[in-house]
Formats: sequence, structure tokens, C-alpha cells
Amino acid sequence: MAAPVYPAWVTRWVSGQWRQKKRPPVIRPTRPLVLADKVANRREQAGEATCITEMSVMMACWKQNDFNDTACAEEIRMFYDCVAKAEKERKDQNEEDTLSPRGNLTSSKVNKLLRRFPQITRYV
Amino acid sequence: RLVLCRLTQVRWSRYNPSFLEPEVNKELYQKPWEELSEEEKEKLELKAVQPIKAAPPTVSSSVFSDPMISKFTNMMMKDGNKVLARSLMAQTLEAIKRKQLEKYHKAPEDEKETIECNPYIIFHQALKNCQPIIGLSSITKGGKTYQVPVPLKDNRKRFLAMKWLITECRENKNRRMLMPEKLSQELLQAFNNEGPIIKKKHVLHKMAEANRAYAHFRWW
Repeated sequence: MAAPVYPAWVTRWVSGQWRQKKRPPVIRPTRPLVLADKVANRREQAGEATCITEMSVMMACWKQNDFNDTACAEEIRMFYDCVAKAEKERKDQNEEDTLSPRGNLTSSKVNKLLRRFPQITRYV
Repeated sequence: RLVLCRLTQVRWSRYNPSFLEPEVNKELYQKPWEELSEEEKEKLELKAVQPIKAAPPTVSSSVFSDPMISKFTNMMMKDGNKVLARSLMAQTLEAIKRKQLEKYHKAPEDEKETIECNPYIIFHQALKNCQPIIGLSSITKGGKTYQVPVPLKDNRKRFLAMKWLITECRENKNRRMLMPEKLSQELLQAFNNEGPIIKKKHVLHKMAEANRAYAHFRWW
């Protein structure tokens, strides 16, 4: 074997240069320092349960009428309307691409954007 | 990621997103040009230019086809035997019609109008009566799982109704009773808001009512 070539930090260490002041970087990166195309999942603020009043009204009606659906048709219709409205609101909220009051986007939206513009790792 | 290095893809194929769904409703095409509204005219013009997907074999434009009945037949099908499932469905509808006609002819004059003879109407109404209104979903909070009452989507309701009907007919019948007869019995009972499936629905509603305190655990 010819004279083995050691990395620069080995020769520096052997020569005793680091005993005085200079130290090598503590982190030796194993992977190349490249930004990933996704962010970590952030726990979003949990929303509240919707349509609870309608549901309780419907359940009270059920208890009175022995779970008969035809007797409680009006309450059931109101519950369905409330549910449809809440669903639509939720969809609209998710659809718009605006920043939240703190200036953030949800992690899923950020990932979608990053997927459209990925990091270039090689040139052709 | 799809790797398109082959000429013909082997795994699965997907239509280009620009392909439109086929329109099976014949009445839309039989309307004269002037009667169409603005948006319908635009849609037809778009369809003349854009490519259209092939219609699946289950969808048909005949008056006898019903999407709900086809869905139910598919759920009844075992091992891909669509012929058997379809014949069972036809026999069920025939059995319903026969039973209702028998009742009709035996009933006195004033009650004859209240008896429903159309098996399709009976099927749809029975399914609607079997659909649960709220369901329970397991939510884990603080290490414990709770059954939380939750509003269900339409597809889920229809699926649950059909599933309950089919499992009920498969399990709780006598050895010699055939499926069409049992199914017609269950459908007629569900049409009159009685029977084991309606009871199951009521049990689900009662459990939801008992757990209504946990309704706040939902976050949607």
C-alpha cells in the first residue's frame, strides 16, 4: 500500500494543532446538505364539534317519540341542513390559500407547493 | 411516481385528467337545441371537442336500470358471479310484486289505494327507512377510546343500510329458505318500519343517544 491519504482533520489532529485553540467542526454531515421537498407535519389547532345543538334537539325528540323517525322528521331535516352547511364551510375554508392570522400555512399546503417546485439535485 | 419507460404500461392505467365523464341520460340528448339553458349548451359544445371516457358496463341508459339496484346487486355478488346476483335480484323484485298483488286483491275496496305494488318504490323506501341518521366513531382521548356520535355521509348511510340488509338475510334464515324470499320479506318489513334491520338502526341510535355527552370530542 502506498502512503495512505488521511482526511485533513486527521493530519491536523496528529500534528497537535487542536490542543491549542483550533477544533474541527463537531458535526460531520453524513448526507449532503440539501433541502428536502417536504416539511414536517405540524399539529393543527383542533376545531370544535359542529351541529351539537341540532343533534341534542333531535335526540330529545327521539326520546319523547320512542325513536320514531316520521315523528321527528322536522328535527332530522334541521340536523341534515346544519351538517351540510358545516361541511360546505369546512370545504371552503380548506380551499382558500390564505395565510392564517399568525402568518403560517398548513403543512399539507406547503408540501403541495414544494412538490410543484422541487429542489434541483443534478444538472443535465 | 409513475415511471413511463415502457411503451405500454403494465401496472394500471389512468385516464388523462382532460377526459370527461360520459353522459348516459338519453333525455338530455333528445331535447331540441333551443330548449337548453346557457350552461347546458356550453357543456354540450365542450363535449364535442374534449375526449370522453368509455362508459363502464354497469352504467346503462335503459329505463329499467337503477343505480341503487345495481349497487345492491354488486354487494350481493359473491366471487364475481354477477349472473347469479342479478337473477336473485330479479326474483326478489318479482316476489315482492307477487306478495303485494296478493294483498291488493284480498284487501277491501277502500284499502286498495294504500297498498303499494311497485317493487322499485318499495325497495327505495325500505332502504331509506333502514339508513341510520348518526353513527358512532371511535375517538381516542387521553389513552381511552370513546364511541362518539358523529353525522354520517350519504354514501356511508346507504352502504350501511345495504350491508345490514344483506348480512341479515344471509345469517338469520332457515336452512331451506331461499335468498329472494327472505330478502323480499325483509324489504317489506323495512317498508313498514318494523323488522330486525330497523331494530338494529334503533339500537345504533340509542347508543348514540347514550353517548351524547362525548359529542364534544369531535373536531370536525
